[in-house]
Amino acid sequence: MKRINYRKYSVMLYWLIFLAMLCLYFTNDYGLVDIHKTSIVVAASIDYENEEVKVTAQLAVPQPSQSGESVKYTAVQGSGLTVADALNEINSKTGFFPKLLFCRLFLIGESCQQLNLFKTMGCLYRKYFSELTALVAMCKGNGYDMLQMNAMYSQETSEAIQQVLADEAKRSANVSSVNLKDLAIDNYSKSQTCYMPYIEAIKSGTSAPGGGGDSSGGEPAKTPDSGQSGGSSGGGEDGQGGTSSGNSGGGQSDEVEFTARKTAIFKDGMFSGILDEDQSFALDILKNEIRVAMLPCETESKHCTMALKDVSGDVSLTVDKGIPKLNIKFNAKARIQGAGEKVDPAKTVKDDIVSQEVLKATEKAVKERIEQLIEVCKESGCDLLGAKDKLHKFNYKYYDAFKDNLLDRMKVEYNIKIESAN
Amino acid sequence: MKINSRQICFIMLAYTAVSRLLLYATALSDICGNDLLFPILIDFAVQTVVMWAICFLCSKTDKTFFGLLENTFGEVVARIIYGLLTLYFAFSAVFPMMEQKQYVGQIFYDTVPPLLAFLPFFIFSVYAGSKGLKNIGRCADIALPIFVITFAVMLFMAFSEVDLSNLLPVLKTPATKIFEGALGSFFRFTEPGFMLIFMGHFRYRKGDAAKITLSYAGGGLIVILFAAVFYSIYGVISPSRDFAISKVALFFPAIELIGRIDLIALYFMEVAMLFALVINIQFAVHCLKKCTGLKIGGIWSLAINIILLVLVIVFDSSFSGINQFFSKWAWIVTAVFALLFPLLCWTLKKGEEK
Repeated sequence: MKRINYRKYSVMLYWLIFLAMLCLYFTNDYGLVDIHKTSIVVAASIDYENEEVKVTAQLAVPQPSQSGESVKYTAVQGSGLTVADALNEINSKTGFFPKLLFCRLFLIGESCQQLNLFKTMGCLYRKYFSELTALVAMCKGNGYDMLQMNAMYSQETSEAIQQVLADEAKRSANVSSVNLKDLAIDNYSKSQTCYMPYIEAIKSGTSAPGGGGDSSGGEPAKTPDSGQSGGSSGGGEDGQGGTSSGNSGGGQSDEVEFTARKTAIFKDGMFSGILDEDQSFALDILKNEIRVAMLPCETESKHCTMALKDVSGDVSLTVDKGIPKLNIKFNAKARIQGAGEKVDPAKTVKDDIVSQEVLKATEKAVKERIEQLIEVCKESGCDLLGAKDKLHKFNYKYYDAFKDNLLDRMKVEYNIKIESAN
Repeated sequence: MKINSRQICFIMLAYTAVSRLLLYATALSDICGNDLLFPILIDFAVQTVVMWAICFLCSKTDKTFFGLLENTFGEVVARIIYGLLTLYFAFSAVFPMMEQKQYVGQIFYDTVPPLLAFLPFFIFSVYAGSKGLKNIGRCADIALPIFVITFAVMLFMAFSEVDLSNLLPVLKTPATKIFEGALGSFFRFTEPGFMLIFMGHFRYRKGDAAKITLSYAGGGLIVILFAAVFYSIYGVISPSRDFAISKVALFFPAIELIGRIDLIALYFMEVAMLFALVINIQFAVHCLKKCTGLKIGGIWSLAINIILLVLVIVFDSSFSGINQFFSKWAWIVTAVFALLFPLLCWTLKKGEEK
């Protein structure tokens, strides 16, 4: 009788089990999720009402293929003392426990201005919730209202908001986009200041005041004392035709566009005000990598819209003879993109080499915007350009001497150079 | 000869680096902030000297560590010391194993995985543990290219977000903190212990001591580079970012468009990590075989893995406590077995010089 070679079979069996287990190890089959019972949070808004945090999650719900659409979007709300409480309520409603890994946007409602930002969003910085890649923005009115508006150029509102916060917009100095990581690094740096885009909804087909590239007089930086209270912003402040929380019920049937050219600023996590478009532009060109930025400027004879290319903005801090000096360096190449005059093809060719008059006017416009930004920094105490952090990193021996009143004591030196692009 | 010096160099380079990519940088950033590179430098400097001391001893004698002990104290003492080394290597496997379990659970799974998900590791571990030193060398041949390629990919994806100014100002952290960081992470430095076991099991050629020592130093430099990249990306919030290797590439622009492609590199790197993890178990089995004189590697491997499995189950929800325990006390064990033992080797009777 033939003897069975158990040794041979045991090795084979061992390998089979090993391979099967290895598959499970790498493919998460133990945690298999029924796709029909999945709801993925793609965006969330955070508001503060009645001493509770209210989180509204925009969910992407995968659909069975026979229904025609692959994903359906819906919103679910939860509330509690912390964001984690609210998320847990959302999880209990959706029957799914997500780690917010696919959440690409956190929208902070105006009502959160009275709270410390890092108290409100604290749980997102804990280990199990988020990878800190999601974008963060503050919105006019309530976050949940904004998430439920009908975006004009996207099926999903959060997608439309993300479009205005996109990298391309950031590289054209149109938005100061930040993600959760940037926000925390800025706030927990020695400067203790962070910022995020301020999103406003405007009625489709209209333009918010100051929304055009050639605006020169946007809203000045507002402080919490200036009367802005959460949830009370009816449309029409400063003549703006925006849809906001106050009238969102009626506004939901209207399509809206979003703009994020203003910037909310925070000191040590507390809301400190809003930068207007000009101040935000200055912040963008000094902090971000810019490809092309549009800048309006006025010469004696005409109004020009300049396109700035090869932009390099740099802020450094030195201490010279016991005086801290903030050196602002800005270089760019400019070309005329548009002018407030009738186009004469014969003359337009000559504009290829930008005249000194226009270049000087451009330099002046850049300087004015940066000066406005620094003025806001001094008034609000927000060290948006990271002067204190630079002092700590690069001039450590002076840190103790200047850390308490650096913004007041520092001199600002500008080195702005604009050359013709051709 | 069971292993050759090239394979030892691979182990010293790849395993040294890959076993320190999870919580090491995070833990040090918590203690030393932006000066996290200095405790790494201190620990590696100390252990590189120890490594060189053993390698240099290898040039003087062909005897194994067991042979040296037997020659000096007799067989019984040699067996007892190998028994202690068995415990040491098994002990050294505990923290990396639990660290690995946490890593797999958090990074590779979207939901909270059950304990069962980690158990396949033990099948691999029992099998690898039953194999001898020759197998360790072969694993290193596989692990090195995998590690080099995947690490390079991760670094490439990380560089767009690096801001080296986060590492400034240099050396402003109190010296006590840097020392605390160095001591608290010293338990991870088991490699000179590996070299003790390799002694006499490879044919020493001229220059091997320098090659192995430099490979180890190279592994250290990779760790320092990685820690610098990690802290440059996350700055002050680094202490809250566990499992550093899985976090450095998250801001690579393509990830937003096509998803977590970095996970492909991480999956492959996991292979090198698993080899680096089981080497402690392989050494424990080797020492147990020498201690008992019974060459039943499979049984010993099973026994050691069962003990480790029980520990993993018992301490499944106490990882933070285990982490604290190892940071606070395990340096003593490492100092004895991976610092004192290798240096005391020089006092053992070497017999005839080569």
